[in-house]
Amino acid sequence: MASVAVPDRQWIARGVERTSASRFATLLAPWFLLLAFGLYSAYLCLRYGLNQTNMDNRFPFGLWIFLDLAIIALGAGAFFTGFLVYILKMKELKPVLNTAVVVGFICYSGAVGILGIDVGQPLRSWFTFWHPNTHSMLTEVCFCITCYLVVLLLEYIPVLLRNRQLRRVPSFLIFEHRFHMLVPVLAGVGTLLSFFHQGSLGGLYGVLRGRPFAFREGFAIWPSTFFLFILSAIAAGPSFLLLISSLVEKITARRLVDTAVLRRLGFISGILTAVYVVAKSVDTLEWLNVTSPALGFAPWEHYAYKPFGTWLMLAEIVLFGLVPAGMLLHPKTASRRGWLIAGAGLVCCGILLNRFTMTIQTLALPTLAFDEFLSYVPSWQEVASFGAVIAYGVIVYSVSYRYLPLFPREKKEVNHVSGR
Amino acid sequence: MFPGVDGFHWSFGHVLFLGLFFAITLTICGTVVRAIWSSVRDFRTRRASAICWDLEFAELPDEERRCRHELAGRVAERTCPNGFDCRNCSEYEKFACLKAVAPGGTFGLDYPAGRLYHRGHTWVEAQSDGTWTIGLDDLADHLIGMPDKVDLPKPGETIDANGTAWRVRKGRNEMRVRAPMDGTVVETGGPETGWYLRVRPDGMPNLRHLLRGPEVSAWLSRELERLQIQLGTAGAGPSLADGGILMKGLIDAMPEADWDDALAATFLES
Repeated sequence: MASVAVPDRQWIARGVERTSASRFATLLAPWFLLLAFGLYSAYLCLRYGLNQTNMDNRFPFGLWIFLDLAIIALGAGAFFTGFLVYILKMKELKPVLNTAVVVGFICYSGAVGILGIDVGQPLRSWFTFWHPNTHSMLTEVCFCITCYLVVLLLEYIPVLLRNRQLRRVPSFLIFEHRFHMLVPVLAGVGTLLSFFHQGSLGGLYGVLRGRPFAFREGFAIWPSTFFLFILSAIAAGPSFLLLISSLVEKITARRLVDTAVLRRLGFISGILTAVYVVAKSVDTLEWLNVTSPALGFAPWEHYAYKPFGTWLMLAEIVLFGLVPAGMLLHPKTASRRGWLIAGAGLVCCGILLNRFTMTIQTLALPTLAFDEFLSYVPSWQEVASFGAVIAYGVIVYSVSYRYLPLFPREKKEVNHVSGR
Repeated sequence: MFPGVDGFHWSFGHVLFLGLFFAITLTICGTVVRAIWSSVRDFRTRRASAICWDLEFAELPDEERRCRHELAGRVAERTCPNGFDCRNCSEYEKFACLKAVAPGGTFGLDYPAGRLYHRGHTWVEAQSDGTWTIGLDDLADHLIGMPDKVDLPKPGETIDANGTAWRVRKGRNEMRVRAPMDGTVVETGGPETGWYLRVRPDGMPNLRHLLRGPEVSAWLSRELERLQIQLGTAGAGPSLADGGILMKGLIDAMPEADWDDALAATFLES
């Protein structure tokens, strides 16, 4: 007898409701189009080189590096939630662990994909490992991100194997069970790797002595940006997770995560954001009064070119730092979902702004007497590749949400409502 | 990366960096290898079925994990903590000695009193030669009717209680039928013979986990109620007019119903 294809409904967890396969495909179609367009742009960049972009030797970091830094920071929710659940035993965060892993995997794989286009010659990527320059922050970033992507992929496998049809294969179910028991080891490794690559991404800017806007003094071999990047990433990670969970709730019109869990995420993010704001303020004062003048630059010179005025610095510290920290920590605002989501959104905006200024403002400002202020506008190929990463994220998350148990509460809720 | 490769230096920083990298790589690989090795060991030591069942049982909704003593009216409310395996239940004796207060009757279905029943809708019956026959119970039989395909284990293969005994396909639905007991398959039957497997257990089997007597009708009553809700029109509860005797081949008779959920609950799939 010919084998019969398993109907789509039977790939979906029992007891949860999903839209029909045809409607799901229709909803994803525009994202697939964007992905295809982005892949075409990526092909152009790989085929014809970086002349397809608006970057050059004077402006070597653009939209892509900003995107990498931003999504790697936002994806920190994966390692940090794993650290909180498995190492610090905060079991109350378990309901968002699966979604954290998927979000982390999307962020990191998207970042590595875009780096592959940016650096170019992906077939020679093994050179980085075979002939490592151990004096470069980027080597550390490269090693750590690659290892951590493998860790995220491994953490994603047990989530994948929890699919209803895959669970029916005994060897998959047993492997998932055995692997899940060892996940704390990976959580520990992930924490170590993330700590270093988040830091090294910041350190990368901090060691740019020729770029006074970014250059910082620090501790031992690490500039202060090394620690600020770690702190800001672990502050933004839980907020991004809160934001994603709330967005999925809104789109699906279902309550997927208990408010208590979101409050916990908000509280953790609020505390860390507050600590970050203090550290960032101290660092900024030190930079304005000591580091920058020592390099021959008066502080005002960094903010003399529109649109990069002092408002950016103030917005980053106050509007996207102090304000959301207060919103996430104050009992009155933290007890309301709307305020929690707004606070988390502001924290995430803060991290985007920080990575933007560190990447774009650093390179736009003139540093030599004959140098001039440069503006940079990404080419359509850069924008389309950026869009492809967003589309990839939406597609992977949507498929994961449809077929995998990302939110344990959902199944319980449906079973309860249907009286089973 | 390695001594002899261009770029490698015997400096402290280089050795430390690469040492850390290799340590992390080894940890990651070791974790995967350990998980694979443990999985293989579970299959070799025949623990795989029990682990699979424990994992699946944990995913069943609360309403499908009711203790047999609750069904029989011996206790007001109790969720089974043992994967329906009363052989390992420390409280079994405490409740088993109480009188069952469940309703009698089998609702027009054939549930012979000499058989023992598994919650996954199979029965076992002792044979005079020391073997046991296993079949689908009458409710499952009425739902499926004549299967399109049955995948039975071959004689000589072993089955484990709560593991998959055989698979049945009906239309677009594939069902895993759970084994009610441990044993080695000595003969296979099929839907036309009225039984599916004849097995020889290792020694005297402990079948304490199987339902019997008044427990059967209480369990059956709940199962019929569940089916009525799952297969009924959304939002409509059971009504007087819903009485009567279950017809054979219900899957064919109600192709538009949500069989996916109903069959998963019937055959204890998470």
